[in-house]
Amino acid sequence: MLNEERVVLMTKMASYETHEGKKCLAIGSYFRSDYIGWQVLKSIISATIAFVVVFAMYIFYDFEVFMTDIYKMDLLEFAKNVLFYYLGTVGAYALVSYVVYTVRYSRASKSLRAYHMNLHRLSNMYRSEKNG
Amino acid sequence: MTTLLVAKQMLMTIYSKYEVYITPLLKFLLSLITLCLINSRLGYMDTLNRMTVVLIVALMCSFMPMNFIVLMGAVFVLLHLYTFSMECAAVIGAGFLLLFLLYLRFSPKDTVVVVLLPLCFLLRIPYVIPISMGLIGAPTSAVSVACGVIVYYMLHYVTQNATVIAAMADEETAAKFKFIIDGLIKNREMVVTIAAFAMTVIVVYLLRRLSIDYAWTIAMTAGAVVNIMVLLVGDLIFEINQPLLGVILGTIVSFLLVLVLQFFVFYVDYSRTEKVQFEDDEYYYYVKAVPKVTVAKPEKKVKQINSARSGAGRSSRPTHHS
Repeated sequence: MLNEERVVLMTKMASYETHEGKKCLAIGSYFRSDYIGWQVLKSIISATIAFVVVFAMYIFYDFEVFMTDIYKMDLLEFAKNVLFYYLGTVGAYALVSYVVYTVRYSRASKSLRAYHMNLHRLSNMYRSEKNG
Repeated sequence: MTTLLVAKQMLMTIYSKYEVYITPLLKFLLSLITLCLINSRLGYMDTLNRMTVVLIVALMCSFMPMNFIVLMGAVFVLLHLYTFSMECAAVIGAGFLLLFLLYLRFSPKDTVVVVLLPLCFLLRIPYVIPISMGLIGAPTSAVSVACGVIVYYMLHYVTQNATVIAAMADEETAAKFKFIIDGLIKNREMVVTIAAFAMTVIVVYLLRRLSIDYAWTIAMTAGAVVNIMVLLVGDLIFEINQPLLGVILGTIVSFLLVLVLQFFVFYVDYSRTEKVQFEDDEYYYYVKAVPKVTVAKPEKKVKQINSARSGAGRSSRPTHHS
């Protein structure tokens, strides 16, 4: 015998799993610190590549001037400045991505909690059908 | 109005029935238009200009996720530019890479804006995108819209100055770099457009979330006005000389297009608004419920003309009841 309530619940859950739940389930498979740490690490790598690209553009922009200046400038000071900007960029970007992914994790776990409650309801339905 | 509502209902039914076919078809058309426009504007590489290549790539796009169109568009642009001038490809490639690394990685949903916005720029109605993103998106969509504006102006600058870049000798690599980067960074029109579009998205978003009647229409109107105002003020301050009539007409056409979007997404009847209050153990609820306007699809009635005869035929048939 088909249990209409159960079929509705299962359809809703299947639709959740294929749509917005897909991402939430993927996020939910991580521990909070692992997920956020991994995403922030990816952001740091992205920011590093972005910084390298911008730095290369900066050098190429005035390549001839830079090549003549390079013998005159204090290289240590220049390197210090570059490092300072690099750390600033990466730090800011990592902070932003930490906030973004913390919010995303908490949202996903909230939505997964509802999903697990539905799972529980479903298993209860099966049990009561079996007993009844 | 009823006819329009019936048409909307029918369109929705058709879409939900044939969604499996319609979605790839729309993706195919979008990628086809995008690639053809890129070819017509940049078309430096002969291989990519062939219709067979465009059709094959568009077919591939129709079965892949939406972001694949963006990727293919970027690949086409870079290959064309590489054939034209290596320096151009390097600078624009670096720009694309920065946009991807710093922002688009976060919001893969909005990426399609980066394709749609340059297309709408070519149709002279770019204002439709910030207003509709404010209506259906989030405040962060402002950044996606800004990315789209940057992509358009980067490509616009290269196509506008193609003859100048081509005239530069091959040895002048450093000068070419400087010329292209200067043009991109010091583009005041781009900065003003980004500011105008970002403000439009945020204003539209904030107003449409208000719990007032006609919030969507008010938000759209305010967004259109803010858009025109910021563009005009920016025009005066930076002396860009944007065609004033073009901005106003473009905004009006965009407004009308967004009205169509509103009809499909958010068409409600404020005269039947219900306000209810109730409470449970933890909260008081002040609920305002606005009903959507819907009509029942008219059902086809089949009138049987030869009813008498068929009725007689049926009655003559023996019936068995178990």
